[in-house]
Amino acid sequence: MNNLGQMTLMALRYLNGRRLRTALTTLAIVFGVALIFAINITLPGAIAAFTQSLSSLTGADMTITNVTGASFAPESALPLVQDVEGVAAVTGVLRRSFTLPAIGSELGSATSIEMIGIEPETMQQVRQFTISDGRFLQPDDRGAVVVPAGIAEIAPQIEIGSTFPLISAAGLRTYTVVGFSAEQGSLSQPTLYLNLPDVQAAFGQPGQINTIEIALSPGADAAAVSEAVLAALGDTYIVDGGAAGNEAFAAVQASLLVLNLMGVLALFLGAFLIFNTFRTIVIERRRDLGMLRAIGATRGQITTMILVESLLQGVIGTLIGLLLGYLMASAMIYGLAGVYRSYFSGVSLGITMSAGAVISAVALGLLTALLAGYFPARAAGRISPLDALRPPTPVSVNRATRSSLIVGIVLMVLAIVMLLAGGQTAVGGAVVFLVGMVAAAPGLIMPLARLFSPLLTLWFAREGDLARSNLQRQPGRAAITASTLMIGLAVLILMAAMVLALGQLVNTLADRNFASDVFITPPSISVYNNVLGADASLEDRLRALPEIETVASLRYASSGLDGTRLEVLGIDPATYPQVASLEFSAGSEVESFAALGEGRTAIVTGLAASTLNLEMGDEISLQTANGAQTYRIVGIGEDILTFKLATLFISQANMAADFNKTEDVLLMANFSPGVEDAAGLAAVQTVMADYPQFTVHLTGQYRQTLVDTTSAAFVIFYGLAGLILLPAALGLLNTLTINILERTREIGVIRAVGGSQRQVQRIVTAEALLLGIFGAALGVLAGVAMSYGFIGAFSALGWEVPYIFPVAGIIAAIVVGVLIALFAGILPARSAARLDIIRALQYE
Amino acid sequence: MFILKTESLTKKYGSESQPIYALRDLNMSVEAGEFVAIMGPSGSGKSTALYLMGGLDRPTSGHVWLRDKDITTMNDDALSKVRRESIGFVFQFFNLIPVLTAVENVAMPLILDGVPRPQALERAEAALKQVDLANRASHRPSELSGGQQQRAAIARALAAKPAIILADEPTGNLDSRSSDEVVAVLRRTVDDFGQTLVLVTHDPRVAAHADRIVFIKDGNIVDENRLKGADRAEQIREKLGRVAMSEG
Repeated sequence: MNNLGQMTLMALRYLNGRRLRTALTTLAIVFGVALIFAINITLPGAIAAFTQSLSSLTGADMTITNVTGASFAPESALPLVQDVEGVAAVTGVLRRSFTLPAIGSELGSATSIEMIGIEPETMQQVRQFTISDGRFLQPDDRGAVVVPAGIAEIAPQIEIGSTFPLISAAGLRTYTVVGFSAEQGSLSQPTLYLNLPDVQAAFGQPGQINTIEIALSPGADAAAVSEAVLAALGDTYIVDGGAAGNEAFAAVQASLLVLNLMGVLALFLGAFLIFNTFRTIVIERRRDLGMLRAIGATRGQITTMILVESLLQGVIGTLIGLLLGYLMASAMIYGLAGVYRSYFSGVSLGITMSAGAVISAVALGLLTALLAGYFPARAAGRISPLDALRPPTPVSVNRATRSSLIVGIVLMVLAIVMLLAGGQTAVGGAVVFLVGMVAAAPGLIMPLARLFSPLLTLWFAREGDLARSNLQRQPGRAAITASTLMIGLAVLILMAAMVLALGQLVNTLADRNFASDVFITPPSISVYNNVLGADASLEDRLRALPEIETVASLRYASSGLDGTRLEVLGIDPATYPQVASLEFSAGSEVESFAALGEGRTAIVTGLAASTLNLEMGDEISLQTANGAQTYRIVGIGEDILTFKLATLFISQANMAADFNKTEDVLLMANFSPGVEDAAGLAAVQTVMADYPQFTVHLTGQYRQTLVDTTSAAFVIFYGLAGLILLPAALGLLNTLTINILERTREIGVIRAVGGSQRQVQRIVTAEALLLGIFGAALGVLAGVAMSYGFIGAFSALGWEVPYIFPVAGIIAAIVVGVLIALFAGILPARSAARLDIIRALQYE
Repeated sequence: MFILKTESLTKKYGSESQPIYALRDLNMSVEAGEFVAIMGPSGSGKSTALYLMGGLDRPTSGHVWLRDKDITTMNDDALSKVRRESIGFVFQFFNLIPVLTAVENVAMPLILDGVPRPQALERAEAALKQVDLANRASHRPSELSGGQQQRAAIARALAAKPAIILADEPTGNLDSRSSDEVVAVLRRTVDDFGQTLVLVTHDPRVAAHADRIVFIKDGNIVDENRLKGADRAEQIREKLGRVAMSEG
C-alpha cells in the first residue's frame, strides 16, 4: 500500500489531538518495555561477568576442569594431556574465588579474592606474565604472593615486601608480596598468584589441582585438540567449562526468567489498556471512518489505518520505554549493589547493552501494540459507509455479554475441578480461573453493580445512580478496566498467601531442625560455592575443647544427575543426628542415617525427589569427580537450609572418595552437660579467631535471625505485586479519563441544567469507586483461586505447606483496590468539574 | 446515454410477514451532464435511493447500473473501488476529517486510490479552486465556516473526477446564504465541467436549480418534471404539497 505515509500522518495528527489520552495509553507500553529492557541489560551482563570470573580468561589457550568442578590429583591427568598432539605445554593449577570476611580485610574494599596456585616454571610455558614491579614467583618461594598492580587503588599501603594475613582452611596464614602483575583484573575480586603448595595448604587440598591450563602448538586446531584431550581423559572432564556447575549462576538465571515473566505480565496489562483505548477510538470516529468508506476506502485500508495508529503508539512507547528502562537499570544497580555483592561476590553489576536485549524489548513492545490494536482495527474495518450519513448519536456498546458470561462460568467450574486435583494441575487451574474471570467480567458487571448499588446510593445519592448507569452503558470497557485491576489485586493476594505459607514453613522447619547449641556459619548459607571453609583442624580443635561435647559438619560438592544440577552435602551419619535433624517424608531418622553409613547411599530432599522422580530404594547414577557412581536412595527428607534446593545428603566418607572434598563449610556443636551458653560461646570463639571466614551463633539466636531475614526477603514478593498494580492503576485512570472525554457534551448538559461542579466531581468519583470495588471483588475471587492453586503446587515440589486463607492479603487487596480507584479518579473528576460549559456542549 | 440507471430497485426492511418497503421497484435513469433533484416527504425513500445508487447500501432486489456495470453484484472491495473512482459523495454533515487540512481532506479519495501524495495534493488544489476555496487550502475544518466546509466536501467529491456526484441534503445543515453559495457551486460544476449530479433535498429553492426534479413517495416515483420560469421554486413548493397530500 503506497498511502502508508498518509495514514501515518493522519494517525500522528489524531494522536496529537488527544494528547492526554495518547500519553496515558502509551505509558502502558512504556512501562512493560522499560521493565523488560532494564532486566535484560543488567542480569545477562551479570551472568556473563559471572561466567567470565569463573572460567579461565587469563590467557591460556585452553583450560580443563572436572565436570563437577572438583579437584583431582595432577598425576592422573597431566601426563595424558601432555601427550595429546597439538599440545605445546601444560600446567596444573589450583584456583578458587572466595568471599572475604566482612571485617578486617587487608585488601581494602575487595569483598572477595581469587587465589591461584601455580607452578612458576610450567606456567610460564603456557602463558606470559608481565611483572610491573618486583619479581615473579620462584619455584621454591613459600608464602610469596604476586598481586595485581591495580590493587594500589584499593589498598595503597601494599608494596613489595608488605605482608598481610588471609583466611585459609587451616586458620589464618601470612603472605609476603614479591611482585605486582601488570594484569588489571577486577578490583572487587583481585587475583592473587601463589605457589601451588601454598594454595593447596590454604584450601586444605594437599597434592590436588582443579584446573589444567594448556598452550597449543602453533597452527594446532583447537577443536581437534579439545576432542583429543577429552578422549584421553574421559567424560569426567570438560574443556573451557566454568559457569555450568555453579549454583549462584543458576539462581541468577532463574531470577532472570521470573523477572522477565513479570515484564511480560506488565505488557499484557498494557495490551489491555491499548485495546480499551482503541475500542473507544473506533467508536468515537465512527462517522469519520464511515465517510472514508463512503468515498472509497476499502475495509483493509481502514483496518490498516487504525493499526498504523496503534503501531505508532507502540513505537513511541517502546522508544520511551527503552530510555526509562535504561534509567531503571541504573537505579536498580545503584540500589542493589550492596545486596548483590554479598551474594555474588566478585561480580560487579553493570549495564550491558546487547542487540538481543534491544530486539526483545522492541519486538515485545511493538507486538503488544499491534496485537492490542488488531481487534479494534478489524471492528473499524467493518463499519458501514452508511454510518457516515447518520447524524451523530451517542453509541452504546451492547456486547454479547451473556455468552461470554457462560464461557467464563464454564471455565471457572473447570478451574475449580483442576484446583481440587492439586499438584501441577492446580497451577493450571489457577490460570484457567483467571481467564474465566476475565471472560465472565462483562456479564458480572450488571449484577455486581446492582449488588453494590444501595451502598453507593447511601454514600453518593443521585450521583451514585448516574455513575452506575454510566458504567452499565459500557460494560465491556468497565469489565476490561476491572479485569486489569483484578489481575493486579489477585497477584497481591497470591503474594500474601505465599509469604504466609513460606513463612509458616520456615518457622516449622526452624523449630524442628536446629538441635545444636552452637551454629558456625560461612558468609553465605545454602550457597557454598564461594565459601572457603576449614579443614579437619577446626573440627579437631573444637572437639578438644572441654566445653564441647559433639561437633558435626556439613561438606559441599556439586554434581549432576541426567543433566539436572544437584547440590551434594556431606554429613557424618554418626554425629549429624545429634546436632541436627531432617524432616523425613520417606524413611526415618534412625534407619536412614544408619543406612547412610553403609556403602554408597543418599538421602534426597523432597524437591530433588520430585524434580528427578525419585523414590525410596531407587538407584541413581550420580556424576562424581571420578566418573558416575551408583547411589541408593535411603530416605527423602530436608531441613530449613536445603528445602529450596535439589540436594543430596551423602556420608563424608563417600564425599572424600568420590568428590575429593574434606572441607567443612558449616559446623554445629553441642555443649558438654552443665556448660552455660556464654561460657561455651566464649570457648568456641577463641578457636574461631583463626577462622574469620566463619561466624559463630548461639542456635536460638540464629534461628530467630534466619526467620527474620527470610521474612525480609519476602518483601520482594510484595515489590513484584506493586509492579503489577502500577499499570492497573494506570488502566483505571485511562478508562476514567476516556469516559469523561467521551461524555464531555453530556457533562456540559448536566452543568447547563444546573449541576454543580461538586456534583459532576462526585459522579466521576463514584464511578471510579464502583470500578475499584468491581476490580477488588473480582480480584479477591481470583486471588483466592490463584493462591490455592500455587500453594497446592508446592506440595508437588515436595514441601508440605498448609494453605492458610490469606485474610490479611484480601483485606489489603480491597483497601488497595479502593484507594487506587479513588486516587485514579482525582484528576479526571477535577477536569470534568472544570469543563467550560459552552465548549463542552459544542464538543464533538 | 445514461450514466446511472436503476432497475426495479427495491429495499425492504422488517420481517417477512410485515415487510416495510423503503423503495419499491424504482426505475430511474440519469443522463450524462444532467442535474437531477430528488424530492419527497420524509420517509419517502429518497435518501435510500441515493445510498443504493452510490453503493453505500445493498438493495433487497433490483439493479443499479453505473454505465455498463451492475454495482449491485460487486463484492465489497470492488464496490469500494467504484466509490473511490466513479462516485463522489456530498453529505449533509460535511464529514471532513478534523485532523486534516482542507486540501488534505480533498486529496483523501485520490490517496486512497494510490495516487502519490504530491500529485494528489496538486489535483486537490485544482478541485478547491473549482469551488472557490483555494485560499483556504491549509485550514483545518474547524477553522472554516459551514458553507466553506461543505464546499471543501464538494471539492473532495470532484477531486477524483467521478462519473457522478451524489449529494444528500447538502444544504440541510446550512443557513440560507451558505446554502446559496453551495448550490451555486454545484450548478457550476454541471454547467462548466459537464458534471452529472443527483441531489436529494427537501428545499424547493435548492431543487429549483436542477434540470429535472423527481418526486418520490412511499418508495416510488410519483411525478417527474422539467420546470422553467423564474417562479420555479414556487411551482415546486406547490407540487410538493400536492404530492404529500395525494393518496398512494
